[in-house]
Amino acid sequence: MAEEIDEFEAQMGLRKQEKIEEKVFAELRLRRGAYGQRYDNGHRYDGTRTQEIAFPRRGLTKGPDTEFDAPGMQRIKIPFGKMTAEQLEVLADCAEEYSNGILHITTRQDVQLHFVDIEDTPDMHRRLGAVGITTREACGNSVRNVTGCPLAGICTTEEFDISPYARAEFLFLLGHPDVQDFGRKFKISYSGCSGEGCGRAMMHDLGFIAAVRTVNGQPEHGFRVVVGGGLGPVPHLAKELYAFMPESQMLPVSQAISRVYARLGEKRNRAKARIKFLVAQLTIEKFRELVDAELAALEPDPRWQEWVDQAEKAAQEFLPAPVTNDGAKPAPGFEEWASTNVYDQRQKEFVAATVNLPLGDITSRQSRKLADIMRKYVNDALRTTVDQNLLIRWVWRQDLVSLYNDLYEAKLVLSGAGTITDVTSCPGTDTCKLGISSSRGLSAELRARLEARSLQFDKTLKHVQIKVSGCNNSCGQHHVADIGFYGSSRNIGAYKVPHFLLLLGGALEDNAGNYGLAIGAIPSKRAPETVDRLLDLYSAERLDGEMFRAWVMRVGKKAVKEKIQDLMEVPPYEQDKSFYVDWHDSREYSIGDIGVGECAGEVITLTEFSIASAESKLFDASITVDDTNATQADLQEASRQAYLAMVLASLGLLKTRNPDAKNDPDQVFEDFKRLFIDTKLFFERYIGSQEWPYFQAAHEAKGASRDRDEARRRVEEAQLFIDASHACYARLRQTTVGGSPAVSAALPS
Amino acid sequence: MANANEGPQRICMKLYAAETGIGDQVYVPIFQEWIRDQALDGLVLFDVADYAHVPDSPGIVLVTHEATFALDRSDGRFGLLAQRRVNGKGDAVDTVASTLRQMLQVASKLEADPRLGGKLEFDRSVIRIEANDRLRAPNTEEGYRVLEPVVKKAVTAVLADKAPKVSRVPNDPRDRLAADVRVAP
Ligand code: SF4
Repeated sequence: MAEEIDEFEAQMGLRKQEKIEEKVFAELRLRRGAYGQRYDNGHRYDGTRTQEIAFPRRGLTKGPDTEFDAPGMQRIKIPFGKMTAEQLEVLADCAEEYSNGILHITTRQDVQLHFVDIEDTPDMHRRLGAVGITTREACGNSVRNVTGCPLAGICTTEEFDISPYARAEFLFLLGHPDVQDFGRKFKISYSGCSGEGCGRAMMHDLGFIAAVRTVNGQPEHGFRVVVGGGLGPVPHLAKELYAFMPESQMLPVSQAISRVYARLGEKRNRAKARIKFLVAQLTIEKFRELVDAELAALEPDPRWQEWVDQAEKAAQEFLPAPVTNDGAKPAPGFEEWASTNVYDQRQKEFVAATVNLPLGDITSRQSRKLADIMRKYVNDALRTTVDQNLLIRWVWRQDLVSLYNDLYEAKLVLSGAGTITDVTSCPGTDTCKLGISSSRGLSAELRARLEARSLQFDKTLKHVQIKVSGCNNSCGQHHVADIGFYGSSRNIGAYKVPHFLLLLGGALEDNAGNYGLAIGAIPSKRAPETVDRLLDLYSAERLDGEMFRAWVMRVGKKAVKEKIQDLMEVPPYEQDKSFYVDWHDSREYSIGDIGVGECAGEVITLTEFSIASAESKLFDASITVDDTNATQADLQEASRQAYLAMVLASLGLLKTRNPDAKNDPDQVFEDFKRLFIDTKLFFERYIGSQEWPYFQAAHEAKGASRDRDEARRRVEEAQLFIDASHACYARLRQTTVGGSPAVSAALPS
Repeated sequence: MANANEGPQRICMKLYAAETGIGDQVYVPIFQEWIRDQALDGLVLFDVADYAHVPDSPGIVLVTHEATFALDRSDGRFGLLAQRRVNGKGDAVDTVASTLRQMLQVASKLEADPRLGGKLEFDRSVIRIEANDRLRAPNTEEGYRVLEPVVKKAVTAVLADKAPKVSRVPNDPRDRLAADVRVAP
C-alpha cells in the first residue's frame, strides 16, 4: 500500500508540472478516493451573478474543469462498516487536520471528509493505511465499498453472519486485474436474510443474500445471488442469477461476473454503463449463460477457498464480562432512547446500541470519546450503518445504562434511530458537484420539525422512513423510503425554483425490494408541509395496522396526489421570495444572470404549457405501470403515452423556434433532432446527452415495450427527458432577457 | 532552544465569546454576502458549510482558500475558530501571524454586523492556539518547546503586546498540542 501512495504522490507532482494529462490524473485520484467537490470548477453563483474564484494557481487542474487548488472530498472505504477504536481515532485526527473536524457517514457505510486539499491526501492515506484502512478504489470505475448488514452476527433473523464473507469479497477484489476495466462503478452488498432491508441487496449491482440448504442431512451455507440492481435516474431491481450458490463458489462467481461486465459492459456512454443496463439488454438468462461459461473457464485460485476458510475465525467482539454493576442511575432521556436505539441481540445477554448521527455527521472530538466508550464496553465492535449511523454491538445488557450515561456526556444520545425523525440525506448542494436542491437543508428542517412532533406519533407512524437525495442520482436512496425526495428545479416565470420530486411507498423490506412511486414535483419550501399533510392523511385513513406503503398502494397515487396538489403551487416571486431560495441558504436560487426586474410577472409560455402537458401525460402512464392489475395492453398504452410525453416536451422546446409547430411525432422528432440535437443546444455538461437516447429509442420503437419492466423504464426515462427539457428551456432563457421571441432569436435557423 | 522557524504550518486558533442567543443560521447570509463582495483582505472566499445540526460542532463555517472561520463549539465553548487550510508562504511565525490577523479581521467584522445587534463580543484577552499537525507538531513537551517561541513571536508581531504570556493547555494526549496566549488589554 505504501508504494502505491508514494506513486500517487509522484503522479501529483507530475500533474503540477503538467506532465500527466488532467483526465488521466483525475481517474488516478478517483481510484484513491479523492473526489471532486462543489465549486471546484472555479466558479460560484453568489445570488446575483456567477463569479470566478481566484484560486492562486488558477488554470492548474486536477481533472477536466477542476481547479487544483479547489478543495475536494475524500471517500474512505469501511468494508461492511466494521471499524476499530483505533481506526476511529485516526479518522478523527484526519478529519481535524485535513478537513473541518467532521466525519460524515454515507449510505454505503463509507466515511467522507470534505474540504480536503489534494496536497494533503498522500499523508492522509499513509496515516489511514497504518491502521488498515484503504481509500483505494473508493471512487472511479471500480468495485466500491462492499457493504453488509450492520447487525451481521447478532441479528435475530439472519441465516448466518455475513461479515467474514463480505471481508473476503473486499480483499479478493481489491485491485484484482479482472475489475480494472469497468465502464462504471460496481457496488456489492451482503445481506444476512431475505426479508429485512439492512443489506439492501436488491438495489446493488451484485447482491449476496445468505441462505442455508440441507444436503445429506447437513446444513450447507451459501447465497442467493442477485445482479443488476441499482438506483440512480433509472432504478432497476436486481434479478436472481442463482437461487443458491455454495459459499465456496462466492468468489469465483464474483470474478466471473466481473469478467462478463468488463468485457461486455458499455464503456463509452456512461449513462448506460452500469451492469443493470447490460443485464436488462441481454436478459438474465443470457447473462447467466455467459457467467456460467466464464466460471467454467476460470483458472482455479487458491484464495477462493482460503478466504472462505478464514470465515470461521471471526474475532470475538465482546468483553469477557460486564464492566459495571447493576444500579447505575440513567441520565435523562434513557427510556426514550432505549425504546428506539437499542436492539436485543440474538445472544440474550447482549444488546446493540445505535448512535444516531444527525445527517450522518459526527465531530472528531465526539469520535475520540466514542473510541474510549468502545474500549470500555466492547471489543472493537462498531459498524457504520447504511442509515448513516454508528452501531455499537456486543454491549453486555448489564452495562447498558452506564454506556448510555457515557454517550450522554459525549452528546451522542439522539433518540429515534431508524424512525421517522432519522431522515437520511446525501450531501446535495452542500458539497456535491451534481446537487440540484439542498437535501441536507431540507433534511435538517424535516428532522427538527418531526422531532418536535414525535410525541404525537404512534408506533406505525414512527416506522415511516424518509430519505432525501439532492438529485436523481439517488445517493440518499429515496426510492426505498416510504417518503422519498430527490432534487429538481422548475422555472416559474423568469425564475428558477428549487423543487423535490416526491416518491411514495418505497420500502426497505425484502432487501430494499420495492421502489416508490413518483408523485410529482414539490417546491422545496413546501416539502415539510407536504410531509405533515401526508402523515395526517395516513393517520386518518389507515386501516388497522396498515403500514405507510400499504396505505399508498391501497389509496392509489392519483388520489394522494390530488390531496397534495395545492402544495405543488409556487406563489409568484413578488408575493413570496422565500420560495426562490433553497433551505439553509440566502442566495436567490438560480444559475444564470437573468435580469430580475425585466422578467418578473411573465405569463406562461407555449413551451412551459407543452412541457406541463407532457408531465401530466406521463403521470397517467406512471399510474398504469405501477398498477399490478394492469394488463399487457394497458402497459403497452402506458409505454406509448410515455413516448408521447417526450414528444410533447420536445414540441415545447420547438415552440421557442416556431410557435405554430404541430404535434406530429415524426415531424417533432425530425425537427427536434435538427434544431436541438445536431446543434447541441439540448446538451449541457451532464444534462441532455443521457436523455436524448431515451427519446431516440422510444421513437424507434414507436413507444412499444416488450414487458412491464421495459414499460416502467420507458416511463422513468421520459421523466428524465422532461427534466432535461426543463433545464434546456431554462438555459435558453438565460441566453437572453427572458421572453420567447428573444429565445427564438438565439436559435439557429 | 528551538528555532522559531520550525513548527507547524497548519494551525488553529480561537477567540471565545459568550453565547449570543441568536440562532446559528444568522451567519449564513452574513457569510454569503461576504463571499459575494469578497469582503476580507487577503482571503479568497468561496463557500459556507453548515454543521449547526451537530451538537458541539463547528456550526456555520466560512470557507476561504487560505483558512476556514467557524462559529464553533467543538470544545464545548462558543467562539470563532480559524483553521489554516493550506501552507502559508513564509515560515511558521508568518503563518501564525497571518492567521491571527485574518481571525481578528473576521472577529471585528462580525461584531460590527448589524444583524447581530451588538450581541457578539469576542474576548481578545486570551487566544487559544492549536498546532493542527500531529506529525510535525506532536502533543509533547518537545512539540511545545518548538511551538511556544513561534506563538510568542507571531503574537508580538501582530498585537501591541510585547510580552504575551503563553502557557501550554493540559489536554488529552490524543488531542492537538495547544497553548493559551494571554495578552494585555
Ligand atoms: S444524489 Fe445527487 S446530489 Fe446527492 S450526493 Fe448523489 S450525486 Fe450528489
